Amino acid sequence: MTVFTAAGTRARSGPPLSRAARKGYLRYLAPGALGFVIVVLVPFVMNIAISFTDWSGIGAPSFAGLDNYRRLVGDEMFWSAFANSIWFIVAMAIVPTALGLVLAAGLFDYLEPRFGQRVSSALRAGFYLPQVLPVAVAGIVWGWILTPYGALNTVLQKLGVTDPPNWLGDTAWAMPSVMLVLIWIQLGYGLVIFMAGMARIDPQFHEAAELDGASWLTRFRHITIPQMQPEIFVVLLTTTIAALKVFGPVFVLTKGGPGNATNVPSYYSYSNFFGTLQVGYGAAIATALTVVVIALTAAFIKIQSRAEGA
Amino acid sequence: MVMRSRLRGAFALAAAVTLALSACGSGGDEAGGDGKTFTVWWYEDAGNPQDKAWADALKDFQAAHPAVKVKFERKVWQQIQDAGAMILNSNDVPDLLEYNKGNATAGAVAAKGLLTDLTAEATKRGWDKTAGAAMTVGTYDTKGLMGPGKVYGIPSYGEYVSFSYNKDMFAKYGVGVPATMDELVAAFEKFKSQGITPLAESAGDYPAQHLLWGLTVAKADRNWLNGYFGLKAPLDTSAASPLTQAAQTLADWTAKGYLDKKSTGLKAEDAWDLFRTGKAPITYNGTWMVGDFKEKIKSFQWGQFLMPGSGINAGSGGNIWVVPTKAGGKDLAYDFINLTMDAKRQDLMANAGGVALAAKPDAVSDPTGKQVNETFAKLASTDGLGLYGDWPVPNFYQVFFSNTQTLVGGSQTPAKFMEQLKTPYDQVQSTVG
Repeated sequence: MTVFTAAGTRARSGPPLSRAARKGYLRYLAPGALGFVIVVLVPFVMNIAISFTDWSGIGAPSFAGLDNYRRLVGDEMFWSAFANSIWFIVAMAIVPTALGLVLAAGLFDYLEPRFGQRVSSALRAGFYLPQVLPVAVAGIVWGWILTPYGALNTVLQKLGVTDPPNWLGDTAWAMPSVMLVLIWIQLGYGLVIFMAGMARIDPQFHEAAELDGASWLTRFRHITIPQMQPEIFVVLLTTTIAALKVFGPVFVLTKGGPGNATNVPSYYSYSNFFGTLQVGYGAAIATALTVVVIALTAAFIKIQSRAEGA
Repeated sequence: MVMRSRLRGAFALAAAVTLALSACGSGGDEAGGDGKTFTVWWYEDAGNPQDKAWADALKDFQAAHPAVKVKFERKVWQQIQDAGAMILNSNDVPDLLEYNKGNATAGAVAAKGLLTDLTAEATKRGWDKTAGAAMTVGTYDTKGLMGPGKVYGIPSYGEYVSFSYNKDMFAKYGVGVPATMDELVAAFEKFKSQGITPLAESAGDYPAQHLLWGLTVAKADRNWLNGYFGLKAPLDTSAASPLTQAAQTLADWTAKGYLDKKSTGLKAEDAWDLFRTGKAPITYNGTWMVGDFKEKIKSFQWGQFLMPGSGINAGSGGNIWVVPTKAGGKDLAYDFINLTMDAKRQDLMANAGGVALAAKPDAVSDPTGKQVNETFAKLASTDGLGLYGDWPVPNFYQVFFSNTQTLVGGSQTPAKFMEQLKTPYDQVQSTVG
């Protein structure tokens, strides 16, 4: 996100600052830089260093060269965890962004003018609520709802479904179930940002189009979506990164199971760190994950700046 | 493998600090520094037999050491399983804590020098005599393998896993208590024919792997077990291996509907609930659930029977007291261990329905307590404690758990199950064995 602001500032032209003035600003960066060094940089460098060792987390690590990375390349579990990440991107980035955009437009263009701002604010808060709830709490409650004899299946049975699915315990159903919970969690995030963005769009665009007889759908396609591009980029980028790093919901709901049906790189790294005490290997997984996230971010930003430049 | 952390565990964790049993008798005593504060952790559920006995010990401890500030924190089993090594390796260790027994847990940290050698203290204070055969769970060699070596942990209770059954339902359907595997299967069939799923299980949590291990040791002899835990050879995945046979039996039982395939989505607490509410007539549970059943089951009579077979059952000495190498108040820790091993606490534990190591038979008046203590004493004296399958290799718990889950779910064959276990087992076996 910081990178975005930087890119944005560059686009907005102003008189360049003198060298002395720039230096004067530097001191304001110090607290942030210090925090970054302590919280991000040092652990990250340590993690990279550990990934080249064979270490149980206790005692002295022994240097292992590229062994961990060699093992990583051939590790089926690791690759299946990454493949699962694609489903998490669908559930945490793509669906919530698309659905969030439609819902935001619905709230902003339709509900707010007819039912007033209070109704739309209440609904917006409702959609955002899952973002506020701690995932440990929400996950446990979802776990109760989704157990074979839980609330959902009881309702389904009352409706005449004789053999409702074993949502989190069946290899075929576990991933869709977890995805559903994640969509529920993520929806509000994009929605809130999109509604704020829609308030920014000059109403004249919509009024002019409406006078020309454009339907809501046409206006949504040709005005809202193009105007919302910066917000869409930000939401997609941040949620995709969140999807790649996802840990909490998996830990609470399925612990990567059944089998490895919902395993993800973060959880796999964690189980190597704390379960098998193969800390070096866990660190290698974490490093690989970070590289992927950074590469993806760079690609996103490049695409965005190209789109903005066009 | 014995896991007490259930769904409630998460809440217990949050409530741990507030629940802390601050036995500060002398309120004005603001002592600090080494030797003046005694910090002890355990993860027994509040009110279970161990917790009752140890809380009582803590009261007496405070009375005997009025100048010492006692700090107790309740943890959860999973917490120690996941982060125990990191905690012991940090500078912020308690003086005494309950630790998970097994090569992969206590053994691993003992081998790294993170636990105090208690051999001399155990002999001096007679803990070895009180614990008897159960002492195995606290004894590790230099590689961290359970067996002849030094004493790093002191068990103060025992445990075993057995079937619990609903006596009323057995009587209603004319089913006798099974003494052989055939009779057990016949009992399952009888209930099945009445449209009842006989066995309450949870494969989304630890109970199913206990059942798998129970079936394994029922086919095993001591020689096979010694080889398995001592990592003497690569894992035998042939059809004759007790473990393969157990996997096959579990798969068959699921296919025949003796246990619900949907138990892959059930937590331990869900399975216990099926039994407690009389929906399923049988379950396979550890003695750590006995206190809970005793307290909560009011609508029917229940009893227990062991897995028919070799006479070996899943079970062992309980989880162990360990004293971190970095602990400040080691003598205080020894004093407290001593209290948990004394006659008063052992009898108290047994009368609360727990499995004590050395309760005096005539001091146990509670019928449930009497039964479990007699059974445990018999298992211990006949070499019938088969430990738990996940002990030989680090993270075998997770491997056992997830593969039992898919085995019960039917998405994995017994052969594939064995293959999944073999890879990590052989990897460690080749370096240690």
